[in-house]
Amino acid sequence: MSSIKQIPVITERKGNPLARVFDEFVRFCRSRSLFILHYCTGCGAIELPPAMTSRFDMERLGIQPMVSPRQADILLITGYVSIKTLKRVILTYEQMGSPKYVIGICSCTVNGGMYWQSYATAKKLDEYMPVDLYIAGCMPRPEAVLAGLQKLMDRIHSGEANSWEDYFRNYDYYLGNQQKLFGENWQTPTDIITEAKHYDLIGEGTLGKHTQLLEQHQKPLEALDMRLGHDLKEPTE
Amino acid sequence: MRPENYEAQRHPPSNEFELNFGPNHPGIEGNYALKVKLHGDVVVEAKADGGYLHRGFEKLMEQRLWIQNIALVPRICVPDPSPMEVCYAVAVEELCGLEVPQRAQWLRVMQLELSRIAAHLFTFGGHAATTGMYSTMYWGVADRDLILDLFEEFTGGRVYSIYNIPGGVRRELPDGFLQRVSETLDYIESRLPDYDNLFFKNQVFVKRAKGTGVMSQEQALAWGVTGPNLRATGLAFDVRRDDPYLVYDQLDFEIPTEAHGDAWSRTLVRRLELVESIRILRQVVAALPDIAGPIRAPIPNPLAWNVPAGEVYTRVESSKGELCYFVVSDGGPKPYRVHVRGPSSMHAVQVLEKMSVGSRIEDIAQTMFSLDACPPEVDR
Ligand code: SF4
Repeated sequence: MSSIKQIPVITERKGNPLARVFDEFVRFCRSRSLFILHYCTGCGAIELPPAMTSRFDMERLGIQPMVSPRQADILLITGYVSIKTLKRVILTYEQMGSPKYVIGICSCTVNGGMYWQSYATAKKLDEYMPVDLYIAGCMPRPEAVLAGLQKLMDRIHSGEANSWEDYFRNYDYYLGNQQKLFGENWQTPTDIITEAKHYDLIGEGTLGKHTQLLEQHQKPLEALDMRLGHDLKEPTE
Repeated sequence: MRPENYEAQRHPPSNEFELNFGPNHPGIEGNYALKVKLHGDVVVEAKADGGYLHRGFEKLMEQRLWIQNIALVPRICVPDPSPMEVCYAVAVEELCGLEVPQRAQWLRVMQLELSRIAAHLFTFGGHAATTGMYSTMYWGVADRDLILDLFEEFTGGRVYSIYNIPGGVRRELPDGFLQRVSETLDYIESRLPDYDNLFFKNQVFVKRAKGTGVMSQEQALAWGVTGPNLRATGLAFDVRRDDPYLVYDQLDFEIPTEAHGDAWSRTLVRRLELVESIRILRQVVAALPDIAGPIRAPIPNPLAWNVPAGEVYTRVESSKGELCYFVVSDGGPKPYRVHVRGPSSMHAVQVLEKMSVGSRIEDIAQTMFSLDACPPEVDR
């Protein structure tokens, strides 16, 4: 990743009043044009079409659905995440460009909800990725979804919605939980540590024993074997 | 960002390539995936890849009390949850030999038919969106919301109503509710010509849907296809008429069929079913004021309820097809085994895999939405 220029991202500019005004303006604009990627992981997704279309109409808040993770700002996790889905959710999250925000809709993302004793679902989403906001309820009404989005907009505007930095600063913790679930040689095609260096967000928890494990296991990534009849080679096997 | 040592693997030269379609894709219904092998843009082989929504329902139900499972079952099929509750409640009633009061049966029919209308409107919305007609989607979702409002007033929940318990239903109708049902039905009926002009007669849709995803009647029967998809091949089979449950034998309705078995016929059958559901609901609205009596049979303390040992198989007609429960009790406080036979597992796995072959890549979404498969119910 040496090709990326090491530009430090300056987040604190206390001294210069003009820069403060500029930052404020950027945050204002950022909070007024959000693209969501709704990953329909569970039943909560059924309340999103009413929230998006004519009746509740989230477009009036400047929020629109987007189909690809690269262009999206918000990742909406709408309900329980089964373990098979969770791998895809993490892949999706890591592909999104920063700053990025995660909203967990439904009680199932908070603590497992109805499926607290199910063998197939991951119970707490925030063990695997930082979550900005939870909208609890089984399932939350469209009004609650909109209220949650407005709350997120306010937090972006005031500069409090910084949980994406947390993923870089505490990558070891998140990776550890992921490895616990998917096996020790779990690895995604995204290089988070280099990215953290790029954003100048290396914290105390970025590197640790789990990331060491990652280095041990890291082998040249092969293109996934996707011949028909063969399952995707999961790193757990 | 890829690690520096990333190297793409080379494949032997071939005219075919493979594409992962889903799980997070606008052309796929919900969290479901297909692996397709393409030659140009023609599908050579398709393989369903489910399990993204697996929660282990059948195991979870063995670990909960009979009454607790009522809150769990609607989650099996999210767009059309009511038949799930009713089917489970009927199964428990049959095991216990409970007699359900007449009024509760009529109320259940009302719930089922309202749910069918909501599910069909939602399907039209999704189907129209795959052909790029977003106005129909906006309309469909907005009109479905009117029914959800009725549900909210009637049962307390917008989507998951949890209105049934074994032995009857949970609550009486609110005042003036039947009047509001009639008004909503009138409104939806008045909208149907608009839908016809916007969507069902629209050449964009007709040209793409006609001849897409064709199956013959023999194939449909061999593959276990039920519901509107079977009726679109010309066979008038409907559990509501051929094996009546609740009070469907006292109601007057038709079974619409179409002959061609393609995406267009399947959508048209659903469109005609809307009219029949409205007709059934009108009869229910007219009949309900004269049917007095309790709304549920007395049941023992639900927290210490040992259902007599035995096994039972019940079926109802959901908006997607035939929904069946096989419930075994060993006389304990929890079910010994529950098996759900949902319609979508046939539609989304075997049928979709076979029907996609030979079609173009852009028609997969069309085929999937016209089959109206429901991924949470496939994976359970
Ligand atoms: S909280 Fe309820 S509605 Fe949401 S995903 Fe869980 S079970 Fe479904």
